[in-house]
Amino acid sequence: MKRAHWLHIIGGRGRPLAAYAAGELPPAEQAHVAALVADCPACRREVESYQRVTAALRATPRVSLTTGEAATFLPEINRRIDRGQGARAPQARPGLREVVWDHPRVSLASAFTAALFIIGVTVSQWQMWGLSGTAGTNGVEVVSVEVAEDASVMVFQAPGSSLKIIWVFEDNAT
Amino acid sequence: MPGSEERADDRHLVEQATRGDREAFGSLVRRHQDRSFNVAYQVVRNRDDALDVAQDAFVKAFASLSSFKGEASFSTWLHRIVVNLAIDCLRRRRRGDPTTYDDRLAVPEEGGASQAAPDTPETALESRQVRSLLARGIQALPPAHRAVLVLREIEGLSYEEISRAVGCSLGTVMSRLFYARRKLQKVLGPNLEDLR
Repeated sequence: MKRAHWLHIIGGRGRPLAAYAAGELPPAEQAHVAALVADCPACRREVESYQRVTAALRATPRVSLTTGEAATFLPEINRRIDRGQGARAPQARPGLREVVWDHPRVSLASAFTAALFIIGVTVSQWQMWGLSGTAGTNGVEVVSVEVAEDASVMVFQAPGSSLKIIWVFEDNAT
Repeated sequence: MPGSEERADDRHLVEQATRGDREAFGSLVRRHQDRSFNVAYQVVRNRDDALDVAQDAFVKAFASLSSFKGEASFSTWLHRIVVNLAIDCLRRRRRGDPTTYDDRLAVPEEGGASQAAPDTPETALESRQVRSLLARGIQALPPAHRAVLVLREIEGLSYEEISRAVGCSLGTVMSRLFYARRKLQKVLGPNLEDLR
């Protein structure tokens, strides 16, 4: 594979092409990327699409106050200052999605923690089944099972206890 | 970005305002109200919210003028307050009322915004469509990414100025800018051909 194609694969998902399209790379790097982009049609398409976005953004018209808004702008500020509103407006905390979005490391750490948790739970289940023999997750053992034609009887017992639980399943159809 | 003369004037006005001179503070407001309103509007995309954010930013600025050290320009310092309040406003809005999308950027209001008025019906329509597309693309960005994008592409701030205005590292600025551009590129996707 040509070098320029590697640039597209790595750079297309990274910053160099976007920064190059916006003309924000240092001059030497800008020239270097330009040479590589010239040799890679996919990179060129990527750069062109970034350039269109950037150009459109930079052409966005500024929004200014209307005459009416401008006339009441300062008086309203003075009114708020006089009312002592300088320290109001509690800060809204960023949502979980924003925190994760802004910090990719947090999402990686969360995925890693989730994986560790799942592995831990699985291993503990294996250990529980392996160490307690016939005991289930509640630690109750099946003492006996008898199956007759019209009914079945299961006897359970908790380890270390004399209490037995007897379940009888009757076949009402017979 | 303000020139050195304007910065010196700002600093002088800040010194006077810090001593309680409300006239000097009024001059600062008048000098920066349009720009602050524009930044707020580009982030929150709602005229009423932007007005409230910009006014609140000046109220906060007045309350903390003594903390302005003059390392950055007054406008960068003010941008920081505006952007934080705008992001805060967006977060509150997203939780409380997700339906306040304002597409008025696409059609500037009478007497309000607007530069570069299109000269033919065709270009007017194209221009409106492009702006509408962009507005929707920007709307899809997380608040913090939107703020960085607005400061860079619409306000023309340098990475360093954005870093000071948003209060994060240069690396974070570059990262947010990249993700915002890429997200916008994806959101606009098939319509990118129209953005010429």
